[in-house]
Amino acid sequence: MAVEAASIEPHIPGLRRFARTLVRGDRDRADDLVQDSLERALSGWHLRRAEGNLRGWLYTILYRRFLSEQHRQKRHGVHGTLTDASEAELPQVTGGQDAALEHRDLLRAFSTLPEEQRSVLLLVGVEDLSYEQAARVLGVPIGTVMSRLSRGRERLRSFMNRDLEAPENAPRGAQ
Amino acid sequence: MSGAPGGIDQNDLMAAIDGRLGPERAAVLESYLAAHPEEGERLRQYGEIQHQLRHALAGPNDEPIPRRLQLARLLAEKRRRRYRQFGAAAAAVIFLVLGAGGGWMARNSGIGAPRADQTAQATTEREITADALAAHRVFSVEVRHPVEVAAAQETHLVQWLSKRLGRSLVVPDLTSAGFQLMGGRLLPSEGGPAAQFMYQEGNNRLTFYERSGNTGDTTFRYSEQNGVGEFYWSDQDFGYALAAKINRQQLLKIAEMVYQQLSGEGAKPPPPASPLPGKPS
Repeated sequence: MAVEAASIEPHIPGLRRFARTLVRGDRDRADDLVQDSLERALSGWHLRRAEGNLRGWLYTILYRRFLSEQHRQKRHGVHGTLTDASEAELPQVTGGQDAALEHRDLLRAFSTLPEEQRSVLLLVGVEDLSYEQAARVLGVPIGTVMSRLSRGRERLRSFMNRDLEAPENAPRGAQ
Repeated sequence: MSGAPGGIDQNDLMAAIDGRLGPERAAVLESYLAAHPEEGERLRQYGEIQHQLRHALAGPNDEPIPRRLQLARLLAEKRRRRYRQFGAAAAAVIFLVLGAGGGWMARNSGIGAPRADQTAQATTEREITADALAAHRVFSVEVRHPVEVAAAQETHLVQWLSKRLGRSLVVPDLTSAGFQLMGGRLLPSEGGPAAQFMYQEGNNRLTFYERSGNTGDTTFRYSEQNGVGEFYWSDQDFGYALAAKINRQQLLKIAEMVYQQLSGEGAKPPPPASPLPGKPS
């Protein structure tokens, strides 16, 4: 047992949310990512100060792990995980069963957003990171965070509006 | 970013949703919205979506953390790996040195002056060993109130002390050495809160003392005062001291037992916290 365990523990639910958002709700894969990140955080514990606040540091580790996994998969010709999500896995993007049902359409729309927009919407909108912190985690300028946030929200908005007008089972918003 | 009349742009709208708009901009936004009601509707929709998304993604806050993500387990594994790398040979050397007497490992290797952090570490170590011994002397002879919280409330005891010491404590199980847990107490120290657990075998009492303090990772060190023996060691910024009026060999055996349980080896496995089967890592 150690100080690092006590400091990291409160952030595990948030890290799992972030991971689920990144991998579009594949829970096992998300927890793989979290486990991998936690192991890295523990073995690199002495490096954390250089990175400033602990939460941001943990999210950064996880995001980098995610990117390098994407990179590896692309190199090895595993296609699809980045842009395609099977219809079956969309409704369980994250959250409990009730949340999934209640917000099914929104979650579905959310999962059609590109990863960059999903990440920002989660980090800023759900995890309450400041724009600066989110920019640091994702390794992009603040302006980029703002434009992704704005594009993501605008897309959800038009999607939801279209949903209201369109009949059930009409083609849903594409990329 | 799309500029809009009135000096309000998309960034301002986002900041308004996120509650991060400064008072000046908020005033500008307000008069802008008064003149552009359709923009107000857009803002309302953004807010609604933000609100729903927050609920929809609220996710695993209430879910138990699956076993494979439990830090105690990850740490124990990491330590096991390190221990294995370190190798049995090195472990043998440690115990040889211990056996040869003194057990004073070559921390200050005698070359040059000790570094400042080493001096500070030595001071912390002296404090911890002295405090532990003093607490042992005071409370092990206590008849009516040897402990603050009795072993019957072990769960509460562990939660309480873990909270105060800021890390999840493990109460060593020493029944195989004949010692039964009596309970524990919280103690003040130079380095913040400290915990003392007391054990009993017949009339003989043993105390296990721990608190945070960087003394550098050390192996067991033995000292003895007026018949009370004490083993001290340190691991991951925590100092541990085991004291009892028993002979050194017996105490060493118990110290090894405690050390192993704290490292997760031979410790009781944590109960499965989640119905999700953990993937083998």
